[in-house]
Amino acid sequence: MSGHVRQGQTVQAGRLIGWLAALVVLWSPTAARAETLAGTPEVRAAFVSLVSGVYQLNAEIDYSANDETAAALRDGVKLSYDIEVSVTRGRRFWLDAQVVAVNLNRELSYHSVSERFVVKDPLNEGDPQSFASLAEALQEIGRVKDWPILVAAQVPAEECSVNLRSSVRRGRLTGSLRVLMFWSDDWLLRSEWYSWSLPR
Amino acid sequence: MVAATITTRRTVGLLALGALAVIFALVGLSVSAENSAQFERLQPWMLLGSALAVLFLALLILRKVLQLAAARRRGAPGSRLTIRTVTVFGLLVALPLVTVYLFSLGFLNRGIDSWFRVEVKQSLNDSASLSRGMRDLLLREHGSMAESFARRLAVLPSGEMLVALDDELEFSGAKEIVVYGQYERILGAASRSVPDSLPSRPPAELVRRVTDGGTFVSFEPLGGDNFVIRAAAPVSMAAPGPLDARFVVATYDPPSRFAELTEAIDRSRSTYADVEALREPLKYSFRVTLTLVLLITMLAAIYGAIHAAEVLFRPVQDLMAGTRAVAQGDLVTRVPLTSSDEMGFLVQAFNDMTRKLRLASEENAASRMAAERERERLAVILARLSSGVLAVDQSLVLQLANEAAGLILGADLSAQTGRPLGEVVAGDDRPRQFAALLAERFAGGATEWRGQIELVGDGSTQSRVLACACVPLPQDGQPVFVIVFEDITRLLQAQRDAAWGEVARRLAHEIRNPLTPIQLSAERMRRRLLPSLRGPDAEMLDRSTHTIVQQVESMKQMVNDFSEYARAPALRSAPFDLNQLVIEVADLYHAQEPAIPVETVLDPRLIGFSADRGRVRQVLNNLLTNALEALDGHRPAAIEVRTSIIDTGGVERAQITVSDNGPGFPPELLGRVFDPYVTSKPKGTGLGLAIVKKIVDDHGGSIEAENRPEGGARVRVMLPFNPDGREQAAGERRSEVRRERA
Repeated sequence: MSGHVRQGQTVQAGRLIGWLAALVVLWSPTAARAETLAGTPEVRAAFVSLVSGVYQLNAEIDYSANDETAAALRDGVKLSYDIEVSVTRGRRFWLDAQVVAVNLNRELSYHSVSERFVVKDPLNEGDPQSFASLAEALQEIGRVKDWPILVAAQVPAEECSVNLRSSVRRGRLTGSLRVLMFWSDDWLLRSEWYSWSLPR
Repeated sequence: MVAATITTRRTVGLLALGALAVIFALVGLSVSAENSAQFERLQPWMLLGSALAVLFLALLILRKVLQLAAARRRGAPGSRLTIRTVTVFGLLVALPLVTVYLFSLGFLNRGIDSWFRVEVKQSLNDSASLSRGMRDLLLREHGSMAESFARRLAVLPSGEMLVALDDELEFSGAKEIVVYGQYERILGAASRSVPDSLPSRPPAELVRRVTDGGTFVSFEPLGGDNFVIRAAAPVSMAAPGPLDARFVVATYDPPSRFAELTEAIDRSRSTYADVEALREPLKYSFRVTLTLVLLITMLAAIYGAIHAAEVLFRPVQDLMAGTRAVAQGDLVTRVPLTSSDEMGFLVQAFNDMTRKLRLASEENAASRMAAERERERLAVILARLSSGVLAVDQSLVLQLANEAAGLILGADLSAQTGRPLGEVVAGDDRPRQFAALLAERFAGGATEWRGQIELVGDGSTQSRVLACACVPLPQDGQPVFVIVFEDITRLLQAQRDAAWGEVARRLAHEIRNPLTPIQLSAERMRRRLLPSLRGPDAEMLDRSTHTIVQQVESMKQMVNDFSEYARAPALRSAPFDLNQLVIEVADLYHAQEPAIPVETVLDPRLIGFSADRGRVRQVLNNLLTNALEALDGHRPAAIEVRTSIIDTGGVERAQITVSDNGPGFPPELLGRVFDPYVTSKPKGTGLGLAIVKKIVDDHGGSIEAENRPEGGARVRVMLPFNPDGREQAAGERRSEVRRERA
């Protein structure tokens, strides 16, 4: 079920080597990691529906938040709420074959002058939505409606399963600043995989 | 040699590889730290390479340290010096590096912390607050406008609403004004642009607010520099109908400059937050890089220090090894000359010194060997010397003794060196007597003297006469005296024998001649005068002539004995059974004196014994006669005759031992019992044992007389087994006598 391709795998391997090297020189890093912002996401409900030959995903994800998260957002930190979806075909005695894997990345930030939480959603054609409260923003982010993930022609004859996982992480930095995050593993919280059979 | 070359090449190769890795790691760290574009790609590999370089250097140093420790344990020359130097070098390298490292770390932390100054964040927050103030002003203004318009709508007839909307749009500068009725139904709207769709539903929060009778205003970001001000106000009517307006929502564009600054402030805050989050990773990155550089530099320096110390002290180690070898006596060793500097000069000087030492040692060894040869030669001479040679100090502690000295004094002196001569344990007290006599001489102040010393027998042994000469040795410290002495007992005995022989010959010659005329005259006188005399005269003549004849006969017997003693008839040696002869003589004497048992103990190996049988018989006769006379009146009496074979100096001799249990020899006569006219018996001429000794001497044998410890006398006769042995013994005797005379 976990045989899906992940983006950024090479970077992770390099990071692992770096950590091994750091361990070899017996350096004990202190406070090198970003502080935990808490709140593991949980997939409450998810299903796909076949509409006009297109499989559309609908999901309800609970992104909990606390004061620390709100404070971090108010300090200018951006959070990325990602949804990974993969459709896999089960194989005996071997890893599952992947039919398709798609990601949905939504970004939450806080606008300090307007004092509103801004959500950037690619499903919303990139137009940011702003909310007066964090709860409203998270509710919006946690709702996926009619997201096309697969056309029926791609689906093989065998039985397939849909796997969904959501994660929250610190928004990726840009430019040269990103390289320093090598030493600071991004704050990352992931839900368990939520899987179900692909309906025909 | 080949293996050593391969090992050296492998070591050089490893070192070159390690140096390349270290250089690569350092350059890589430097490049990756400077070039952020390369950082993410290179950093893991650089770190791994640097860690491997550190590990490689640590292993090299560990190997060297273990080698040094092993060398120290086995006490290799120079190991302690090398360890001390490496420790000092290491400290000299490590202390500054660690100091600079710690200072750098502190500087780094302070430097990076200074980048994130509180004032920056505060100014950003202040800017945001200022912007929010401006925003609030705008919101209040636009909220008032919305409220005013709502109030106007409340009193306005419904047919004029659209006109009023257009007027308000024009008057207020709004982008769009929408009037909502019951259930949020749009009753009317005015917009500056031609709408391509209906206005979107009002946000829930807005609806809640105006439903509650409040005014809603918001400043909403739309992405980038785009913002919108949304203002909503309820339309208050006393009794609103289903088609009456319930609230109005107006949207405005904020001033463009305000919008730009607002976005800039927000972007700056966001960027600062990102950068601030990187503060610790930034420090950590620099710390790791700095630590790796420190470790690589320090380990490389320490390894270099160890290598330099080894190279530096190798000549010293060679010198120490050479010194140790020289101390252990190896003067052939040479220290390899590896340089021409001061160390090379030292090595050269050491080699020169070793060479000179070797030459001196060789000369010394040659001298020692010559002295040793001389000593051995002297020892051989001393060993072969028949004279006894002793070296003693003033307290008569024995320093040296040859074999002959031991034989003469009757003690083994070879192991007695260092002991006082008087304490030497021997079969008799000859060494003690000798020491006492020497002490007397030394006490008298005589250091160089010549003289005779008589060692008196103790009853069981004969007295010995020694001719001694004492010479002080030229020596530092306590004086040492060399005493050369000779046993001249035999010489004196031979001189006495010769004198007695001459006396006997003269007696025989001078007395025998007048005896016959005396006897003839006495017999003629008796024959002529006795018939003519009567009475007392005839009796007196008869008695006198008889006495004369008897005494003359007696004197003749005595002269014959002397003649027998003096004459030296040629020996007629022939093989015979000595045991048989002993049995015959013993039986004869036993028959003569049945009360005295004569026991014989015979050695059956006595086969091939050759001598003059008649004279040997006379020896046995004389010895048994002597024993019988000694046992006269002594009961119980017993005589034992024993034969045996003894080995004296590689020559086999037949030994005849005649023992009795009589009173033994008087101790004062023990040394002279074989002299003529020496006897303790009232009867006898005293020539019996003298004749025995003469016969034994003629046969080349020897004779000894002693008293048995259990009582009685014992005479031992030792005869050569055959004429060859006799010749050999006679030769020894002659040479011995010659030496004694010399």
